[in-house]
Formats: sequence, C-alpha cells, structure tokens
Amino acid sequence: MVNSIFLQFLTGMQLGAIYVMISLGLALIFGTLGVVNFAHGAMFMLAAYFGVIISESLGWGAAIFLVPAIMFAIGLAMERGLIRYFYTRPHTDQILVTFGLAIVVQELLKWQFGANNLPFATPDWGTGITRLHDYLPFLEGFVAYPKWRLIVTAVSLITVAALFALLQFTTFGLVVRAGMRDPEMLRLLGVNITQRFSIVFAIGVMIAGIAGVFGGPVTQVDPAIGMVFLVPSFLVVVIGGMGSLPGTVLASFIIGLAISFTATIPALANIIIYVIAIGILLFRPRGLMGQKGVME
Amino acid sequence: MTDIKNEKKIWTRRDVLKTGGGVAAAAATPMFFMKDAWAEEAIGNYPVKGPTVKFGFNVPQTGAYADEGSDQLRGFKLAVEHLNNGGGMLETLKPSSLKGNGVLGKKVEYVTGDTQTNPDAARTSARRMIDRDGVIMWSGGSSSATAIAQQYLAQEKGVIYMDALTHSNDTTGKDKRRYGFRYFFNAHMTGKALAPVISKAYGKDRRAFHLTADYTWGHTQFNSMRDFTEAEGWTTVQNIMTPLKSTDFSAFLTAVLNSDADVLVLNHYGKNMVNSLTQAVQFGMRELQKNGKTMEIVVPLYSRLMAQGAGIDNVEGVYGTTSWSWKQQDAGSQAFTKAFEAANGFPPSQAAHVGYCQALLYANACEMAGTFYPPAVIKALEDFKFSGTGTGDSFYRGEDHQAMRDILVVQGNSKAKSTGKYDLLNIHQTVKAADVTYPVNTFKGELGPYKPA
Repeated sequence: MVNSIFLQFLTGMQLGAIYVMISLGLALIFGTLGVVNFAHGAMFMLAAYFGVIISESLGWGAAIFLVPAIMFAIGLAMERGLIRYFYTRPHTDQILVTFGLAIVVQELLKWQFGANNLPFATPDWGTGITRLHDYLPFLEGFVAYPKWRLIVTAVSLITVAALFALLQFTTFGLVVRAGMRDPEMLRLLGVNITQRFSIVFAIGVMIAGIAGVFGGPVTQVDPAIGMVFLVPSFLVVVIGGMGSLPGTVLASFIIGLAISFTATIPALANIIIYVIAIGILLFRPRGLMGQKGVME
Repeated sequence: MTDIKNEKKIWTRRDVLKTGGGVAAAAATPMFFMKDAWAEEAIGNYPVKGPTVKFGFNVPQTGAYADEGSDQLRGFKLAVEHLNNGGGMLETLKPSSLKGNGVLGKKVEYVTGDTQTNPDAARTSARRMIDRDGVIMWSGGSSSATAIAQQYLAQEKGVIYMDALTHSNDTTGKDKRRYGFRYFFNAHMTGKALAPVISKAYGKDRRAFHLTADYTWGHTQFNSMRDFTEAEGWTTVQNIMTPLKSTDFSAFLTAVLNSDADVLVLNHYGKNMVNSLTQAVQFGMRELQKNGKTMEIVVPLYSRLMAQGAGIDNVEGVYGTTSWSWKQQDAGSQAFTKAFEAANGFPPSQAAHVGYCQALLYANACEMAGTFYPPAVIKALEDFKFSGTGTGDSFYRGEDHQAMRDILVVQGNSKAKSTGKYDLLNIHQTVKAADVTYPVNTFKGELGPYKPA
C-alpha cells in the first residue's frame, strides 16, 4: 500500500515536472508581457528536436547547455522580430499569430524530419533504474524507478527554484516584477523596460528548451508533440491563475498527481484535467493564485 | 375516363409461347453472358473510361501509425509498378490472371491520401479519392477504426475498399461489409496462435496485466488475448484502456508495478507500442521479480517497424504475432523482398506486404471477372483460393471476407544474433491457416448487398 501510493505520487510529480517546465514559460510571458503565446508548445518541440540532433552529434553534455542557449537566442529573435508588434493588439491577434507560428514550426519539422518520431536515447548516466528502497526505508521490498524520470523531476524543481531566485533576489528580477505591476511608472523613471521584457520572453522560451531536452526522451519527439502539450499547459496556466508563477507550479503538480492517481480509471483519467479546470474556475474564476481582475 | 376493363391484357396462346421461350432462354444462358448484361449498370466509379484506371492509396502519413503508413505506400507503389510492367509476385501468385500490362489492358495510375490515423480524416480523404479522382478501388490504412469507417463508405459508394493493416475482429466481424476485403489476420487469430506459445514459454500459472489502446482494435485484441490466455490457465489481473494519443505511459506503468501481475500484455501498436514498451523497459519491468517469477512482456501484434522504433535491446525475447516477415524463404516473399529492396534500399515491413498483396489481388480479381464492375469483382474475390504471396495456401472466405492464411509467431532478436539493423524479429513458428481458422458465426454481422442501396 505504502509502495503503491508512493509510486503513483512519484509518477504524478514527474508528470507535473514536465508540465511545470512548459507552463512556466507560458505564465512568465503572459505575466510580464501580457502575450498569450500559443507557439510555446512548438518551442518545446523544437528544443526536443535540437536535443536529438545535438545529443547524437556532440553528446549529451553539449545538448544540455547548447539547446537552452539556442532556444534563448530564438526567443530573443522571436520577440524582437515578431511578438513586440503585437503587444498593444488584442489577445485574439496574439493568439492567431502565435498559433500560426506554431503551425509553421510544426510543418517545417515535418518537412525536414518526416512525421515519424525520432528515437531520443537517454545518456548512459541517465539510463536504467534507481533502487528507491535503498534510500527510502519506509518502502517495502523492491521498489525501482527509471533514473531519467527522477532526473527530469529534479531538473524541473531546480529550474523553478532558479527562476524564482532570479525574480526575487536580483535587480533584474526587481525591475521585471515592478514592470509587471506598473510598466508606465518604470518608463517614467527611465528604466529600459522593453529590453528587460525581451530577455524575459527569451527566458520563457529557454525554459521550454530545458523541457525539450530533458522531457523529450519521455514524451516522444515528433511534429505533433508541441500541440499535444499546448492545451494541457495552457490549462495549467489558467488553473494556476493567468500570469501567476507560484500558481502555475502548484497547478502543474496538481494535474500531474490527478492524472497519476486516476490512471486505473481510464474514463476519469482522460478528462480529469478538464474536470479540475472546471471545478477551480467555477469557484475561483481568477485561478488558484491569480491576481484579482486578471482574466477573471 | 378510361375504361380499365378495355385495357386489360388478353393473353393469346402465341404470347404465352413467346414469353415462355424467352424466359427459358434467359435462364439457360451461361453466367458469363449475364456478366456483360449487368455490367452496363454504373456503380461507384464504374464504368472506367479512358486508357488508364486509377487506384487510391489512403495511408496514415501522420499520427500514431505514420511509420506503418509510409512503408505501406512504398508497397503500393511497387504493386503499381509490377502491375504495369511485370515482376515481383506476379511471377509467384497462383492462380494468376495478371499479365504485367496494367489491369484489363488499362495502365494503373494512383492517387494518395492521408488518413491521419483518424476515422473522420480517413473518410474525408477516401471520399475525395472517389468523388474527385474517380478511383475504381482504394486501399490502405493502419488502424481498424479507419478501416471500418472506410468499409462503410465503400458499401455506400459502391467502390471496393481493400482493407490493409487492420487487425480488429470487428473489421470482418460485426462491421464486415460486402465492399471490404481483409487479407491481414485478426486479433482472434493472434490469440489462438500466441496463447499456447507464451503459456509454454512462461508457464500456465501466470497473472497478466493488460494495457490496451482504447478503440475497436485494442478492445477486440484484449478480449481475444484474455479469452485464449485464460483458457491456458492464466489469470487476468486488470486491463487499462489507454487513449490512442498517449505518449507517456508512466502513470499506467506505475499501476502495473503496483499490481501483483507477472506478465504485461501491451495491446498497443505503432508509436503507442514503441513508447509503452520502451517505457516499460525503462521502468525495469524486464528485470523485475513478481510472484517468484521474472516479469515478462508480451506484444500480441508485432511489426518490424515497431521493433526498430523500440530498439533491439527492448524487444529481445519478447513474443508476438505478425502477418509476414521479409525473412521468409518462400518464392513469393523472396520475389517481393528483392524488388522492394532494389527500389528502396531496405526490406519491406508487414504494412508494405499487405498493401502490395491487396493491390495485386484486387487487380487479379478484375482480370478473372473480365470487368471492373464491382459486384463481379467481389464475386471473383469471394472464396478465391491462392498461394504464392508468402502466407501459404490462402483464401478470402466468402461469408465474412476474412482471408484465411498462415500467420507468424515471432520473438524479438538479440543484438548478438542480429545480422543487421532490420533483423529484429525471429520467426518462432509459422502457424498454418487451418490452426487459426474459426467458424464464421464466431462474430456477428452481415455483409450487405452486392449493389449499394
């Protein structure tokens, strides 16, 4: 009993860990820039493809550092070249342009690599199982879990901690947080908020990059995977409260755990994420930790 | 006003003799003269005008079964090449009326479509082939849900659909249609062939946990595996229906870990199977000890493409069934494999084989019937006995349009024994058609009329 609850819990955390990494960027971009970025799933997918290519050619070590860096650069280019023209336009325009971009990325990948999935092998140091009963005395008998999935969960938690540290404890974070509250006042004070915001956008895309390179081996790498994750990630952001980072983290793990604990009841597992969304939005329209008045 | 009495036909002795003679002559006319008489009626895209005839190949180019789809398309293209110019199985199919100069003197052309592994998309694409492109027959697909949807469309439109990779019992069971023919085997045949093999290998006292793709094929595959393994003495612990679009099976696999099952049966196909098997191995399920036994994984419906996606280390020793293998040594399989390798540089999969054979068998039936007229072609296919296509002495059973043919029980190869990257499955046993056949009334359903309503 202890074993089974613990394992379903661990699986839930691991599922949530992937949702966190994709949703966090989405929430960050919405919270700071007010842009609903429907191309975010495509960025995750693009990163997974880069992950496959770089890990095969230059090795995993290179992939871990290069993929997020490349995605950061792509994020900067995307913000400067496209997204900034849509800041003052309605959300529907933003959704249309980013969704269009997602389709372009998807079709380009399909054209280049085909519709089939690319095998994405984990590195030797991440392959195999971890014998959890060796470390956790409360488990009975033999309890093992895939090493890579534990790594993904850890990376996700580190990413969340790093992002919060950046926003809470640095001057850059202070400016960004102030910018989220009152961008006009910041501009009047002579702060170049535009430049900060393009970096924020790039950081959001970079986190999707981390998700792609670490999550790719467990989610599958094919041209449809971006869309597969877009809807749940967006729901996670809505459940958490549009633009609320702690809310997004909380919602991701709630969704992950709900999926894991309902896995044996397929009829429920298929709709649980929507049931939770309806339940929460019905009683708390701003989401779990959303600000009053934002997308309420 | 008309006087009805005056219009009443008065039969004379001469009239009676003339009519009686006419009826007797018609009744005595041999069937092959009749054929031309009913051939004048337009059904579907018959009659075929012009010097060419068009086939449609509707395969999944996207979705969970895209790998199978792209290889199947290669099989179809090769079939067209051989129908027009000879070669391949045209030299081994017996009896064969194919001449290698097209079909009924018309060169074969083809159009392709994407089923997207989705019944609605498959039907839309097939409808376009029928209405816009004027195909006389279409084939293809790698999902029973799309196959069944297309069979109904075939019956409605009066255009023959040669099922390709569809393994659900329903295709030639409760959803069988007069205008659909299946050469591929089915879940019932898999259960019948595989259960004795795995019970011999793993013992009769086994507890099975099933993960099943949640649609028609998965459901019937689970039912058949459950019934045949339970008949061998196994216990079914639990079954979870997993959505076809699942990519991460970790939540389901955790439930397997938490159960007391010592066998995992993956009623998955295509990408589903690649992912669930790979992830099951990642979860350590092939090293796990349960009930004092090593945990085993079974994949009832196997394909080389899936084995390739999952990797040889993950499939090593895993049992399953498959329709056909390029490693078969019979003349038909060799002819097809050689031609396919020459065209593509690698050996064909079962998806390519079934597509190739279905195109040839349809074309051959047209030659036998001497017409493209669908009811005549259907009659030529029904109960047609043939060999030389790599499945032993085979025939399309007239009552349900299911081909009775040999199937293979295969086992994943090991890296040490593999001769190359396509040598992934070893043939454990060829199960003869007579050993996997079953009574027609095992499954309900009606074929429907020869002429669309």
